[in-house]
Amino acid sequence: MIKYIIKRILYLIPIMLGVSAIIFILKTFTPGDPARVILGNDATQEQVDAKREELGLNDPVIIQYGNYIKGIVTRGDFGDSYRTGNPVLSEILPRLKTSGLITLGAVAIGAVIGVLLGIISALRKYTWVDSLVLVISMFFQSVPEFVVALVLIFIFAVNYHLLPSSGIETASGYILPMLCIGLSSVASYTRITRSSMLEVLSEDYIRTAKAKGQTDSNITKHHALRNAMIPVAQSIGTNLGNSIGGAMVLETVFGVPGVGKYIVDSITQRNYPSVLGGALIIAMVLTIINLLVDISFILIDPRLKSTIIAGGKKSKKVKETAAKAA
Amino acid sequence: MDENILDIEDLVVHYETEDEVVEAVNNIKLTMKKGEILGLVGETGAGKTTTALAIMGLLPERVGAIKKGKIKFEGENLLEKSKREMRAVRGKKISMIFQDPMTALNPVKTVGDQIAEVILLHDKCSKVEALKRAQDMLALVGIVPERYKDYPHQFSGGMKQRIVIAIALACEPDLLIADEPTTALDVTIQAQILDMMRALQKKNNTSTILITHDLGVVAEMCDHCAVMYAGEIVEYGTLEEIFDNPKHPYTKALYKSIPSLDKDVDRLHVIPGMVCDPSDLPSHCSFYDRCDEKCDACKLHDPLPYEIKDGHVVKCLKYQAREEE
Ligand SMILES: Nc1ncnc2c1ncn2[C@@H]1O[C@H](COP(=O)(O)OP(=O)(O)O)[C@@H](O)[C@H]1O
Ligand SMILES: [Mg+2]
Repeated sequence: MIKYIIKRILYLIPIMLGVSAIIFILKTFTPGDPARVILGNDATQEQVDAKREELGLNDPVIIQYGNYIKGIVTRGDFGDSYRTGNPVLSEILPRLKTSGLITLGAVAIGAVIGVLLGIISALRKYTWVDSLVLVISMFFQSVPEFVVALVLIFIFAVNYHLLPSSGIETASGYILPMLCIGLSSVASYTRITRSSMLEVLSEDYIRTAKAKGQTDSNITKHHALRNAMIPVAQSIGTNLGNSIGGAMVLETVFGVPGVGKYIVDSITQRNYPSVLGGALIIAMVLTIINLLVDISFILIDPRLKSTIIAGGKKSKKVKETAAKAA
Repeated sequence: MDENILDIEDLVVHYETEDEVVEAVNNIKLTMKKGEILGLVGETGAGKTTTALAIMGLLPERVGAIKKGKIKFEGENLLEKSKREMRAVRGKKISMIFQDPMTALNPVKTVGDQIAEVILLHDKCSKVEALKRAQDMLALVGIVPERYKDYPHQFSGGMKQRIVIAIALACEPDLLIADEPTTALDVTIQAQILDMMRALQKKNNTSTILITHDLGVVAEMCDHCAVMYAGEIVEYGTLEEIFDNPKHPYTKALYKSIPSLDKDVDRLHVIPGMVCDPSDLPSHCSFYDRCDEKCDACKLHDPLPYEIKDGHVVKCLKYQAREEE
């Protein structure tokens, strides 16, 4: 198990190298001089040239890239923000906390509501309860997140002044973005839970449990749920990645100072160190989340212990999600 | 007090789906004495599993319906019992072994927990004690008790079936229903499992219904035999009667389809025709189409079961008519 975890962490290296290389290449092809961006239009050509020399922008790209990687590996230094001059890492960490909180809260809201609805509709299959749950979850799935966001802002912030419409000065500022991202994933959790529950309930081992004289509620709790949660846990894993993406968009809608907003702002400002640092850190976080998700599968499903550890086929998927987020 | 452990009277079971009604069990009558091993033989679709599930009270909800009849177990009609009372019967008084051991165990629970579960349900004891007894059960079915912490996927098919048997026997049931317990296993493993079942049956003198499509298994294990065809018991009797003096054309045909070492046959006898569709049963004898002893009258009547000899019942017009002449 330890060996497996170490192996998975080592996979981080090629992923980081890949992500940073892509952004470095993009940077060289984008017009505009970062030194000019930093110094503003009033600066003289001499000042700009001096700044370029200082930032190492005159070196070949490959050297710049090498220096950048060296900085990260030896000093944990992701460079300084062009705009503020502060270390990128120190700007990102507090924002990461904000984004992380919103994402986790959103996934928790979505998963808890979705799984509960899924279990209810599976246990009451083909009744009106089942149909009602289906309609509700389809509704939330088919409406785009930002529409839900605007509606929620309108109801809670504008109309009733219950929650702030933007910013996170108070804790309640987190609630709207969480609800927004969370509600949009309820439908998929409901559907996965329902179908997985129904499938599990028709398994032979459920009949074995009935033949033992076990009660229906214990069969649901002790035999069905854990088996039914395997595909749900898998989708929570994938959903975490998607939710981080969703959080980035909604941070702009709600004016939340998270990593997403930071990266978007930095792109418009041609603030490359911040873009690079943000992307790399997000990729790293996603990889670690994926690892945690995989470990949680092993805990849920003992059959995986032998297969997943031996295979290690997951790395490809991790790379894909990381690249997508970057 | 009657000493019959099981008395099934006129049992009728239907499966009612949206577009059809499957008449899976039709008016069967069956009696079992304590300690008896009854073989229930018949082709796939004859209604053997349905009969077993009806006894267990485990017919699929909404779809499976008992239309008529009584299932008297130790003198009490199981069909009149509440859900709660039936839960107390299942696993404790009547246990069932299912056909496919590969899927019968919960993949995410240790086998020890799965055996202990049934013990905890029915016998007042602590968790530790239940686990201890679970280990004893493992030893009883020939598995190293230390493996109680292992998960089902760590065992072979034959071992899994041993574990399923351990679960079924953990509370020393009065009646054991084994539904094709060896069909899904390799031939060599089959023999081992049957040997073990016979030994355990002898030990507790557990009344057993052994469901199989293999007359050879019946010959080895059982003392009584009921032959099922299209939801009916077409012949019933002691092992000797059924083997030495089979009367029903279907039973005879079943014999001919057993591979035999001493008979020199080039080709196995295959019963011609198809099992009739239980969603569309004829009003006359259901074996008519495939019978090689049929006569014109067979197409007009559905014969009643007839006791041709003490305890030997045949459901065939030929024998019914003969006695009446
Ligand atoms: N859940 C079900 N719904 C509808 N028909 C069923 C169901 N289970 C069994 N049947 C039908 O009932 C008949 C008897 O089946 P079964 O008792 O399983 O036979 P056996 O165990 O002798 O092979 C078959 O025709 C089968 O197709
Ligand atoms: Mg069957």
